[in-house]
Amino acid sequence: MGMTPRSVALGIALIATFAAWAVLFLPGLSAPNSPSNIVRPYTPLEREGRVLYIKSGCIGCHTQYVRPTDWDYSDLRVSQRGDYIYDRPHLLGSERTGPDLSQEGGQHSDDWNLAHFEDPRFVRPASIMPRFSFFTRQQMQAIIAYVQCLGFKMADERMARQIHWHRRLLAAYRHGEDYNATYLAKLVPRQWMTMPNPYAATQGSVQRGKFVYQQMCIFCHGPVGDGNGPAARYLNPKPMNFTLLKRHRWSGGMIYYQVMNGITGSAMPYFKEDLESAKIWDVANYVAVNFIGRNVDSGNDLNGIPASREGAIPGTKPLVPGAGTKAPVPGPARKVYPQRPSSSPQPASTPAAPGGRSQRH
Amino acid sequence: MAFRFIDTTPGSTARRFVISGAWWFVAGGVVGLTAATELVAPDLIGARVLIFPRIRPVHVNTIVFFFLSMMLIGAMLYAVCRLARRPLYSEKMGNVAMWIWNFSVLAGLLTIPAGFTTSHEYGEYVFPISVAIIVAIFMLTINVFQTLARRAEQLLYVTNWYAVGAFTATLIVFFFGKVMWHPKTSAMVGINDAEWAWFYGHNVFGTWITPLALGLAYFWVPREADNPLYSHAISLLGFWPYFAFYLQVGTHHLIEAPAQPWLKLIAEVNSVGLLIPVYAFLTNQWMTLRGRWWKIPDSVVLKFIFAGTIMYFFTSSEGTIEALPSFERIAHFTNVTVGHAHLGLLGFAGFIACGAGYGVLREMYGEIWSERLAQLQYWLMLIGIIGFTFVLTSVGLLQGLAWRNGETVYRVLPEIFSYYVERGVFGCFILTGAGIQVYNFLKTVYARRRRSEEEFFGLERAAAAPAALTGMAGD
Ligand code: HEC
Ligand code: HEC
Ligand code: HEM
Repeated sequence: MGMTPRSVALGIALIATFAAWAVLFLPGLSAPNSPSNIVRPYTPLEREGRVLYIKSGCIGCHTQYVRPTDWDYSDLRVSQRGDYIYDRPHLLGSERTGPDLSQEGGQHSDDWNLAHFEDPRFVRPASIMPRFSFFTRQQMQAIIAYVQCLGFKMADERMARQIHWHRRLLAAYRHGEDYNATYLAKLVPRQWMTMPNPYAATQGSVQRGKFVYQQMCIFCHGPVGDGNGPAARYLNPKPMNFTLLKRHRWSGGMIYYQVMNGITGSAMPYFKEDLESAKIWDVANYVAVNFIGRNVDSGNDLNGIPASREGAIPGTKPLVPGAGTKAPVPGPARKVYPQRPSSSPQPASTPAAPGGRSQRH
Repeated sequence: MAFRFIDTTPGSTARRFVISGAWWFVAGGVVGLTAATELVAPDLIGARVLIFPRIRPVHVNTIVFFFLSMMLIGAMLYAVCRLARRPLYSEKMGNVAMWIWNFSVLAGLLTIPAGFTTSHEYGEYVFPISVAIIVAIFMLTINVFQTLARRAEQLLYVTNWYAVGAFTATLIVFFFGKVMWHPKTSAMVGINDAEWAWFYGHNVFGTWITPLALGLAYFWVPREADNPLYSHAISLLGFWPYFAFYLQVGTHHLIEAPAQPWLKLIAEVNSVGLLIPVYAFLTNQWMTLRGRWWKIPDSVVLKFIFAGTIMYFFTSSEGTIEALPSFERIAHFTNVTVGHAHLGLLGFAGFIACGAGYGVLREMYGEIWSERLAQLQYWLMLIGIIGFTFVLTSVGLLQGLAWRNGETVYRVLPEIFSYYVERGVFGCFILTGAGIQVYNFLKTVYARRRRSEEEFFGLERAAAAPAALTGMAGD
């Protein structure tokens, strides 16, 4: 076989055509685009948002498929071919600079998303996503609608929950801050309300809690915990003013429960994915010590043994006195276990707790 | 000399392609550095067209379609002419193609930040621009074929195979991959679209950038080392399997996506198979250098190209490993891919393009304006790319392992911050190198007298060169 321009060109053309047939046409022909059980068509507004997503280049940082090996969304559904039949072009993406968005719909409330697009650092202080504050009102609506539809029928179900609880939370919030706090407390199972923080509020714990607070909470709840971070402008209901809780003597397990599960229907996200148990307890200690000013912990400063029900063995003294030095707590240093306020107004209707993670399947 | 829009003097197309490419290297580098900075300082630029997601594709496309494509095309046209011992068939057509190329890609760069994009990686240009690029490639293809048809040297040297192969395959890949019959979206539907998009995206490197760079290595290494090519048979082994395997591996970008399982298997098997032509090529190059290693430090051209072949070894070996599911699970979606892409495009194709660019200008003008500056550029770029690859691969593994360990993407962000800073630092090295290159190129062009046509196409050098090149057949 002589290598002439013609023979080379012919050979390459044959190979390329064969390859195109094998890896382009055959896959399409052998796997028709049949719908999966969760897919649904986009609404016009969502479609508009999708175009905006393409134009803005979100695909450069976000992927849209869940792999079998993903932990992040491991309890969600692994993506299927049929989930994408309304996508043209596809938006699978190739880099996870930011999280996967294929099940993003309903994970956060609309106002969280609004604040997030205005400036991602408002709600995610360590984010490197650019600001999209230049979006017009209409564009903002469209992009939020699109993000909230990702996950299709699963997203719709989560959104239904968000909307349901949003109405109730708003109603409670309009009643006044105090009423609101009580209402929220009622949604927390009783055993959590009375549970002391099993980790003693040592200086180390509070310091770690501060680190977590600065990376996760600071621009919503504010540097001084009064709920007046820069994000508050976009949120309704506004972030909790922790100083308010002092009166109610709530801390410990209540904070843990709310942080772990988030408050569906409000911008308060769940942190179950982002924070391990110990970190949530630490941030609870930080919030309690610094903002609520009244901490409820187990009182167990046995260095390193976080026994939740065990205090010091009766009649013994710590071997290393002061090893787990407590951070100073402003206010009376007596151990107080929270009680339910009996005289507080009852919210109109209090269905069972939203069951934090129930927003996901 | 007065500037002529369409220059018909022999060699002008090649020269203009090479110098345009050098300019765009700087431009692409500036955009890339901006993008890298925005990953550590996202609020750096508030303007909506200059935020990271809009300039990332601008960076990628400037580098792939301006810098690499143009320098490689220029150097390839030069090589084809020298090997055919004929001037280019039509400098006029070549110049027109050059302007179409420059303007169409420039149009692409302006339209992407404005929001006109197909959202397919490496194929962001919308339909009209794709058409213009295809027209330019088509004109160049005709030019190459016509030049080869008039060749004075009967034997078709390996470089020419790659030129013909690259142009032919790319026309087909662009036509199918960019779904030219759907002008509005340039896309298929759903996962099928992903399969098509990655057929295209992968073959931008597989049938366009890489073959041009390989062909140029075949051209310059024997020439600079003054040694005949090691083996004709190995060249064949490196050529046909290369195209046969490469054209089928697109789906290795989708290994855990819900693409067809058999398609993924094809992609994986072919990705491993690719090592055959890759190592065949490398064997051929390195064996050609046997006994001539001392030539490398002396010739900046050979230095660049030799470094390029080494980085080709690393990229391709890494690429094969990345295509295996067990490693892909860790590396996919992370900066390991970005490291691989930079090692491939800048380390391999970029180094060969720069080396060949210097080679072309040196032969056209007798010598490079400053060899020392070129050496400096070499070292800056080498430090840059090695550091870059090291940083990005490390941070990618860090990300991938953290995610595998259950960390969320957000939680890992603060961990990777310092790596992103470091990557910007190494980017500065590369950008400085690019700046030196364009300065050196322009100085060469304006300060040195161009060789006359007789000198240029005279037989004195041409007689020596192809003898060395095609020697393996005769000797
Ligand atoms: C520079 C890369 C980058 C770009 C571009 C980008 N994002 Fe993000 N995105 C991130 C990062 C990093 C996070 C994680 C931190 C955070 O929540 O801000 C994120 C988070 C998100 C989240 C929240 C995910 C979650 O559940 O925690 C949404 C929704 C989102 N981005 C949507 C978008 C949309 C829509 C666009 C385009 C308009 C976009 N992003 C562009 C990087 C990016
Ligand atoms: C996106 C803004 C946002 C972020 C980030 C955020 N929160 Fe909240 N948080 C809220 C909002 C809004 C509420 C109040 C909801 C309501 O009133 O219905 C709230 C309520 C709470 C409550 C409930 C108080 C109660 O009385 O029930 C706790 C506890 C809390 N946040 C702690 C935290 C901690 C700790 C973090 C960081 C790990 C954090 N939040 C991060 C917005 C945020
Ligand atoms: C044997 C040769 C090669 C193989 C098997 C290979 C394999 C791969 C694989 C599997 C990926 C996807 C990684 C992932 O997303 O997880 C990839 C990405 C990439 N490769 Fe290669 N590669 C090879 C050579 C090259 C060369 C020589 C170049 C450059 C000229 C190159 C450029 C790229 C680029 C730019 C990407 C990034 C694509 C993206 O944006 O996701 N590769 N390669």
